[in-house]
Amino acid sequence: MTNAWPNGRAFDFIGGTPGSALISQLTDQLKALGEQLETALAAAHDLAALEELRVRFLGRSGQVTAVRRGIGNLPAGERPEAGKTINEAVSALERSLAEREAELQGRALAAQLDVAIDVTFPAPPARSGSLHPLRRATEDACAYFERRGFAVVLGDEIETEYYNFDALNIPPDHPAREGLDSFYFPNGLLLRTHTSPMQIRTMQAHPPPIAIVVPGKSYRRDSMDARHSPMFHQIEGLMVAAGIHMGHLKGMLTGMCRAVFGPAQAVRFRPSFFPFTEPSAEVDTTCPGCAGSGALGDGANCKTCSGAGWIEIGGAGMVHPDVLRESGYDPDAVSGWAFGVGIERIAMVRQEVDDIRVLFENDPRVLEQLA
Amino acid sequence: MKLPLAWLRDYVDLESSSEELAQRFAMLGFPVEEIGHRPKLSGIVAGRLVTVEKHPNAGRLSICTVDVGAAQLLTVVTAATNVAAGQHVPVATLGAKLVGLDIALRTMRGIESQGMLVSANEIGFEEDWFEDGILQLDAEIELGTDVVSHYRLGDDVFDLEVTANRVDAMSVIGLARELAAALGKPLGELDLSYDYRHGADETGSALVEIESSDCRRFVAQRFSKLTVRTSPFWMRVRLALAGQRPINNLVDVSNFVMLETGQPLHFYDYERLAGGRLIVRDGRAGETIATLDGEVRKIQPLDLVIADESQAQCLAGLRGARSSEVTESTHELLLEAASFVGARIRRMSVAHGLPTDASSRHEKTIPLALGEVGAARAAHLLQAEGALPYRPIVVGAALEAPPAIAVTAAQVQALLGMRVSDNEIEAALKGLGFGVAREGRGFVATAPLWRGDVKIREDLIEEIGRIAGYERIAPEQPAVFEHTISSKKYNDERRVAHAFAATGYREAATFSLQSAQPRERYQTAGVELPGGVLEISNPLSEDHRYLRFSLLPGLLGLVTRYPSEMPLRLFEIGHIFFENAETAGAMESAAFETAMAAWLLAIPKRDEPDWRDTGFIEFKSDSLAVLRTIAGRSAEAVSGTQRELHPGKTATLLLDGVDAATIGAVDPRLLAAYGSDARVYAGFLRLHDLPGYRVPRYRAPSRYPAIERDLALVVAPEIPAIDIERAVRAGADGVIGDVRVFDEYRGPQVEAGKKSVAVRILLQRGDATLTDTEADAYVAAILSSLAERCGARLRE
Repeated sequence: MTNAWPNGRAFDFIGGTPGSALISQLTDQLKALGEQLETALAAAHDLAALEELRVRFLGRSGQVTAVRRGIGNLPAGERPEAGKTINEAVSALERSLAEREAELQGRALAAQLDVAIDVTFPAPPARSGSLHPLRRATEDACAYFERRGFAVVLGDEIETEYYNFDALNIPPDHPAREGLDSFYFPNGLLLRTHTSPMQIRTMQAHPPPIAIVVPGKSYRRDSMDARHSPMFHQIEGLMVAAGIHMGHLKGMLTGMCRAVFGPAQAVRFRPSFFPFTEPSAEVDTTCPGCAGSGALGDGANCKTCSGAGWIEIGGAGMVHPDVLRESGYDPDAVSGWAFGVGIERIAMVRQEVDDIRVLFENDPRVLEQLA
Repeated sequence: MKLPLAWLRDYVDLESSSEELAQRFAMLGFPVEEIGHRPKLSGIVAGRLVTVEKHPNAGRLSICTVDVGAAQLLTVVTAATNVAAGQHVPVATLGAKLVGLDIALRTMRGIESQGMLVSANEIGFEEDWFEDGILQLDAEIELGTDVVSHYRLGDDVFDLEVTANRVDAMSVIGLARELAAALGKPLGELDLSYDYRHGADETGSALVEIESSDCRRFVAQRFSKLTVRTSPFWMRVRLALAGQRPINNLVDVSNFVMLETGQPLHFYDYERLAGGRLIVRDGRAGETIATLDGEVRKIQPLDLVIADESQAQCLAGLRGARSSEVTESTHELLLEAASFVGARIRRMSVAHGLPTDASSRHEKTIPLALGEVGAARAAHLLQAEGALPYRPIVVGAALEAPPAIAVTAAQVQALLGMRVSDNEIEAALKGLGFGVAREGRGFVATAPLWRGDVKIREDLIEEIGRIAGYERIAPEQPAVFEHTISSKKYNDERRVAHAFAATGYREAATFSLQSAQPRERYQTAGVELPGGVLEISNPLSEDHRYLRFSLLPGLLGLVTRYPSEMPLRLFEIGHIFFENAETAGAMESAAFETAMAAWLLAIPKRDEPDWRDTGFIEFKSDSLAVLRTIAGRSAEAVSGTQRELHPGKTATLLLDGVDAATIGAVDPRLLAAYGSDARVYAGFLRLHDLPGYRVPRYRAPSRYPAIERDLALVVAPEIPAIDIERAVRAGADGVIGDVRVFDEYRGPQVEAGKKSVAVRILLQRGDATLTDTEADAYVAAILSSLAERCGARLRE
């Protein structure tokens, strides 16, 4: 029986030769195959070439198969040894192939690492939406109160004089009630001048204890300039329960300022006057522009706070007993605090907007920038 | 108000820097808006001119010898013309520092000048507020006295804010009292001493008659033997520092007393009052008054006037009349120290466009007790000017005893959340002028007469807190408690806002107050308004006269204002307003106000046939995605209508069959009125009707492979895609994984009066693998359903 090698050499490896000699011949043949494979592997530079070699040497009709077929001609006693020899040779051949494959794969991966692109090549803008800076400020502040168990309620912007003034202890002859400061309708309704009417509406609808914040629009007859707008946004806060004091007010406002401006914020109360709170305070917080130092790095006065180190964000105080009474609460049984802070102020300070009108112009470039 | 520290120091010792004092005032509730720094001055001493001679070499110069209390007289050359021997003047000695000027030895036309005589602008005062030339000091001053420290010319001036409830603190003494209490220092007393001519005022209480209850109290006092002249230098300095121009000793005393005590005064030339008496009454229509500022003003019944027997002599609390003005020739005057009802004075001030220093105090209602204080202080000062005071006469309300208020340290702590000791409470209240008595475990306090604002315990506790300092209040977290108040509206709004932002829309915040323009543009476009537009009675400007009736005008305004080649996606959430015609008249419901969300997509024009609007489809895709996020389930778009939107390009989005939103192409007439040539799509939803979010439920996706079949159908053009999809579902109920009309064609390739649509159907069983044979059967059933329901057939 002859075998035709792909390289054209032919030989007869049985033909009456003694068994041991046949084994030795077999070994030689296998050794030669191993050498051939090594040479071929060295010349194979990709995985496809390796696959070709695997088929040629180890495939179903490959060279090793041809050698294996010769076992049948061996004496039965020598066959196991020959089989073992062949199996060892196959393992060696497979190892060589696997090594070369691993080597080529490693090289291919290494080659992938060798390439580089221009990562600074501009990316087209992704389509993205955004919340208005005023809503972001509102949500950041309200989220803090929600975490502390407060409800967030909303109210109408058209109000009656009763809710906007009378119930809040603002007497009929108070300057704010004249047409100079408030927008009125012919029927005597008005645009609310603050979010405080919701204090009364909520208290009248719910018995104590109560803990709410009320974000919303308010209106005052201020001409539009860099710092004033006839329409603006406030967050009202109200907490009434037994044993509530001004320290709780400071604690909650400090928490809100930290939620909105950052963890280092402090809150300062300055005495003030509002008809619906007693005692009353102006609320200042550490200026985020200069971390309270009043000065910038170059020694110049901080622009945000004009060097004061504090910025004013609103007014607050302990709910006036008359207001509690008007809302059906007993001032001897419960006490409470209320505050009103300006959302524009918060948004402007933390996003370094120096003109309130920017917030209402809605220039898409600015909306994107502040998002 | 302007507070010169020079004046403040008359009543309280100051050791701190201006900045520290400003901080103190702020923490007392009087924020200092500006610290007016005075120029740095030194080396100015009081001198007396011994001789004044013409300079031999210069006609316009004088040579003065000056006694400055030193062994040697100084020789000083001056160009001033108001110098004369015997005058007491400020002398800048060698080395002195003046405004923009250092004094050195100087030879002027051959004569060595050993200093300079000083005029107003050289020490930082308005030149025309003082003598034209060299300043004239008070004759009592000791020669050689350092003028800068004597008159406190270098002390800063605060501009500080006083809250509306503290008219008593719109005064030097009021602010001094606050500061002294806070610093724990003694408060100097106002010198109110004078001698009056006992019983010499024969006119008695007939001198003043109050006809209007808006005059609460009137203190009147006559003075005779007046000499009108320049006020003493110390008084002029204080007035000038306070921003008040010195005029003459009478006017100056009036201003001085107002600034120092808070009680505005008015002086009448007594001899020019018809009948020699005053009547406080309502103005009469037809009356006029020529006020001191030279205006002739019409008097209205709103006005409260102080009149003599023939005419109005003063607009109460605002300004007096020329006809009884004190002049150089005034010999007798009648002082008014009154308290009016503040609101009336404020309305008068607004009506006449006449805010004055007096009205700024009167409109806050002067405490009754201040009248006597002001009058007495004026009497003291006028007597020093040589006048003879009569006995004051008081007409009107008697002083009310302030209420006694009990307070304990525990109550203070319960309200303020800070511990204040008994000793601190007592000291704070006494410092502010309260009567304080220990009673039981606490105190009973009585407010001083000028503190009508302190009525209840909370008021009193605020006083204690102010003096103790709010900085001592420690932040504390209150305990959380359960309550039943709903945050639904806010949560709804937030849900909607976040859904739009997540879908690529940018939130805008436009004005609720609008001009007439949106309404006019809607009218031009022929787009009906949903209701009467609400109009403000007292708008500030035409730009902000009306309330918005829709969110669309604001957003359209942005489209035209910021044109772009890129698609613009915007949304806004806010209230819209109408007149409520049905309930007009009923106070609470006369206006209709509702919270809306509106969103908009603007894209450049596209070239496509009339029956196709790809922009609409994109917008619908966005809108459905938003609703899916909001509601947790998918909406279905059906044909709809809505004013503001194109009648043939409007869809109602249904959630479980209920209207959730309306979307469509903006009415082209409206776009034209806005001058926009973009394609603009808008959607609206009412937050009030917002569908609740339903948490989506799990339905196991089929584990078996799907078979996809595309059908090309020919159908009448009016058959909407949704009908085709419904017919497909109906034809093979339960095995339709998905169905979608994905293409539409109209034109020559399809028979006339028909359109061609392409439908992709995904057939899938949930329980087994669908075979091709089964699929064919389903498709056949689908086709017959399509034929039956839509008149559709397969395209050849």
